Amino acid sequence: MKNPLLEGRQISKSFQGLAAVKQVNLTVFTGEMMGLIGPNGSGKTTLFDCLCCLQPVDRGKIFFKGRNVTQARPNQLARMGLARTFQRIRIYRQMTVLENMLISRQWRGETLLDIFKSSHRQTKIRAKELLEFLLLSHLDREYAGNLSGGQQRLLEIGMALMPDPEIILLDEATSGINPTLINTIKERILILNQQQGKTFLIIEHNINFISDLCSRVCVLHQGEKLAEGTPDEIKTNKAVIEAYFGR
Amino acid sequence: MKLHKNSKKQTEKKSFLKKWGGLILWILLLGFLALYPYTKVSGIQLFSATQVFMLVTLASNWNLIGGMTGYIDFGHTVFFGVGAYMMGILVTQAPLAFAPRLSFWQALPIAGLVALLLAVSLGWVTLRLKGSYFSIAMLGTFAATREIVRILRPLTGGGAGLDLPPVLNRLGEYYFMLAVMAIVVSSIWWIRRSDFGLSLLAIREDEIGAEMRGINTTLHKLVALAIAAFFTGITGAFWAWQNTYIDPDVVFLESRTVEMVMTSMLGGLGTVWGPPLGAVVLYSIQNIVWSNLLNYHLLALGILLIFLVLFMPEGILGKLGDRSSISAIRLIQRWQKRR
Repeated sequence: MKNPLLEGRQISKSFQGLAAVKQVNLTVFTGEMMGLIGPNGSGKTTLFDCLCCLQPVDRGKIFFKGRNVTQARPNQLARMGLARTFQRIRIYRQMTVLENMLISRQWRGETLLDIFKSSHRQTKIRAKELLEFLLLSHLDREYAGNLSGGQQRLLEIGMALMPDPEIILLDEATSGINPTLINTIKERILILNQQQGKTFLIIEHNINFISDLCSRVCVLHQGEKLAEGTPDEIKTNKAVIEAYFGR
Repeated sequence: MKLHKNSKKQTEKKSFLKKWGGLILWILLLGFLALYPYTKVSGIQLFSATQVFMLVTLASNWNLIGGMTGYIDFGHTVFFGVGAYMMGILVTQAPLAFAPRLSFWQALPIAGLVALLLAVSLGWVTLRLKGSYFSIAMLGTFAATREIVRILRPLTGGGAGLDLPPVLNRLGEYYFMLAVMAIVVSSIWWIRRSDFGLSLLAIREDEIGAEMRGINTTLHKLVALAIAAFFTGITGAFWAWQNTYIDPDVVFLESRTVEMVMTSMLGGLGTVWGPPLGAVVLYSIQNIVWSNLLNYHLLALGILLIFLVLFMPEGILGKLGDRSSISAIRLIQRWQKRR
């Protein structure tokens, strides 16, 4: 039995009276790949934001590596080993690809003096290795804003990998990307999971992508957890089909 | 293959120039400026040069928090004022309740440190505010500090101000301000190349993203503000010493912050060399306007500001292709995102 790595207990979040997430329980175990799906507006990204402490929860608790992190700041959580990508790509378009990677380096144990230190040679080597892994090494001096949408997605994944996190939360990592690049992303995620033991929590609309990668899927609908199970179980779940296609 | 080698060499040469070119030019310029007083220059020319150095220093400091970090500080003159008043209080011989009569060199670091401490205590609260709320909070702090200085008559001389010991040493002032400017601009060059500088730019471009990548954004912003405030305080202290008289209305001038903003915008917000370039251009324009349109100089500067925002929002260096330059319009758009 694997240990729970990231756990949300009874998470609730509302915006000006509109309940975006209602008492959702979610557990991601070490080394697994879990999918989070649901129709538009079902609260997936809000739940992500809550799990990353970007949005304070109204009710409920968040545990990461067994520690209650409900009140933590996102940078503290990131330094503990949680990384994420965003639905709308968040990279630094005015900086080079390499600079983007260096910004996302490991900031663990940051003190007042630490912030004046420049990246070690090893950090630069790691950045270049990751860029090579993500097929972006030839673009390392290019401004990030000049990359294509798919390359920007890859760069964002690379930035998430830079600090060597234990869990990576991917928010619609394949949206707006051509099928070839989607396969590349899929391959890379598989390698990271199988060879390096990275844990993934993935939000996706692309069901095939989720089925190919994830062993467990959680479905949200109107802010509530509708179902949880293997991809095959989810595909045949009547409530899920109703939520997606209506009666 | 040979062609490939040549293009690689060219790229390396370009990147070397991009990396070190600015610094090499800066060192050459400092060398020239160090020898400048030995050419046949008058006292007024030395004084003018000192004023430009001061403007470069103030604008570079403001640019560290406003341009590089993206936190527009409309009250930055408060640190200048605190530095000036610390110098005034510590060196003055007037019958104040507290008059330790220190020397210039003893009072100078104290003035810088008090400005730094004020920045840390203010920043601890205000830097948690997002976007325009920070700017408004700093503007409020500036106005409140001016009134506090006016009220604290036994300590500050109130509205009547303070007379500092009269001195006239144009050459010494020139070298002092040259040294401060050299330290500030060189430090900012180094900061921009360090991970700290990258983090500041990351905060400016996308604070949520920076936070999610493990950057302690509050600490970074606080350190940037503290550095800027320290050197602004030092400059204020020097200005008070040079001016030999201070009162709340001449020290706490809103237009001083406007000058810092305009200088940075003109040269290129968020760039290392923008404020020095902007200061030279702005000072030259100001001199021309003053000598030809004395009654309308503020109007002319206002028109220049409108021109800048409309036609050259990314400044001179931005126009020349410096990617770290950000236009004021984009900076305000970032404010909206931060809410």
